[in-house]
Amino acid sequence: MPQLSTPANILLSLRRALLAGVMLLFSGLIAGCDLLEFSPNETRAPKEYRDLTRKNLEALQARPNPTGGDTVRFVFIGDSQRFYEEAEAFVQSVNRQRNIAFVAISGDISDFGLIRELRWVHDRLKHLDVPYLTVVGNHDLVANGREAYQRVYGPLNYSFEYGSTRFVFVDTNGREYGFNGRVPDVPWLQQTLAAPAPGIRRQVVMSHVPPHDEDFDKQLETSYVQTLSGPNTPPVAFELNGHKHDFGIGQPYENGLTFINSYSFEKRQYVVLTVWGEKEFKLDTVQY
Amino acid sequence: MRRLLLLPLLGLAAALPAHAQLSAPGTIDSLSLALVASAAEPAVTPAVAEPAKPAPVAPSGLTAQPWYRPHHVVLQTAGGQGMVTAGVGYTTLRGRVDVDALAGYVPSKYSITAMGIFTGKLTYAPWTLPVGAAGRWQVRPLTAGALVSYTASQGINDTRDEKYYQGYYWWSARTRIGGFVGGKVSRVIGTNRYGHPRTLGAYYELGTNDLYLSSIFTNLGGLGVHDILTLGLGVKMDL
Repeated sequence: MPQLSTPANILLSLRRALLAGVMLLFSGLIAGCDLLEFSPNETRAPKEYRDLTRKNLEALQARPNPTGGDTVRFVFIGDSQRFYEEAEAFVQSVNRQRNIAFVAISGDISDFGLIRELRWVHDRLKHLDVPYLTVVGNHDLVANGREAYQRVYGPLNYSFEYGSTRFVFVDTNGREYGFNGRVPDVPWLQQTLAAPAPGIRRQVVMSHVPPHDEDFDKQLETSYVQTLSGPNTPPVAFELNGHKHDFGIGQPYENGLTFINSYSFEKRQYVVLTVWGEKEFKLDTVQY
Repeated sequence: MRRLLLLPLLGLAAALPAHAQLSAPGTIDSLSLALVASAAEPAVTPAVAEPAKPAPVAPSGLTAQPWYRPHHVVLQTAGGQGMVTAGVGYTTLRGRVDVDALAGYVPSKYSITAMGIFTGKLTYAPWTLPVGAAGRWQVRPLTAGALVSYTASQGINDTRDEKYYQGYYWWSARTRIGGFVGGKVSRVIGTNRYGHPRTLGAYYELGTNDLYLSSIFTNLGGLGVHDILTLGLGVKMDL
């Protein structure tokens, strides 16, 4: 009996091949597809979204200081949380600036502490011509955010040296830890600020929540501020903060230590900070 | 496949006395044991010489089933409901609506501590198209659904506990509300205990959740729909 060649029969004779094709497609999907999300709180991320702090620091150290000499110039902004359109405009604007060493972001990269948000932000900031460095914010610690942040960026407390300056980035989001008396890690801060290094003229501390904010652990306020204003060698030029979503500069304590708060991304403004000498600095506001 | 031919035997279980039904009808072995057990108790089913009754058939719809007996079992991955997710569910409104309860697991490798995700899900399928002359295949070209999930995990930093004053964060870190559209392909693999066709189906769900939606709605020019989508894949088998 001759074989009928209706479309159905053809499909039937090809079913093994079709099945194999579907299986291949499926396994490809499962292996490489970001769509297959186990939970919004999961902390998986592909390689290109991991260890960004280390990668950015390596990129920074490979770049000669664009201002040269004793001066360092960087962009200062914070709270990128849920401002993706603004992040794109921000990148375009920064890429037009000259002699910028890096971008410093004072925390709250995400709004809900979700890894997808960190990825959405990096998808925009990776187009910066200069490296960018972040400190953890309170929103980045929500849900599984701590681990998401550590996977995507890296340590919550870290320091690096560039352009005759030691930058110390520290987690000050005390409320997220239930004001447990351990955040910020004051002994770590003391140790980091104390060690003098050759060629370092000044130190700059950046954290998300300023010590005079209600979300800072009150038990640690005095020791934290004393550590910053103590006899550090070299001295702390100023502390950078975010959290308040608007620019501000002041000396809230009697010791005369300067605190500078960043614009948030939604304000469509950022500050270009030029630092030289021991404590000299210049602020330029850029709108974008 | 040969084992499937035995599945209609399960239909007999409905005619058995209650104590026999309690033994799991899922395996042939336990079923045959149950049959033996009932035969050993003639008092329960008196052998009246009546003409053979027609096999018990549930009326259309599934009302004849006891409420506690789920209509199907589900196995799923992803879709925000766990890496490995299993559950049970009910079908109502003439097969158009599935109501499922799922428990999912995400290992600590992908979290601070392992997560247990408990999901309640409602899926609406307006059309079921038979495929092929034999009617063994069914396609639901479009499904749409909604879900609520709760994530249990020790490591999760709560957004609404004593650390904060009321309204500090507006969302819950643990409870998610989601929606999805999808499709399903099923194959009839025999009949169930009520004589209804038993199907085994594979489905997908393309969805999102409340936090992703609030991200896109405040960034209509910044995020694309593809950014906020999640995909879930699963199989569903009628009991």
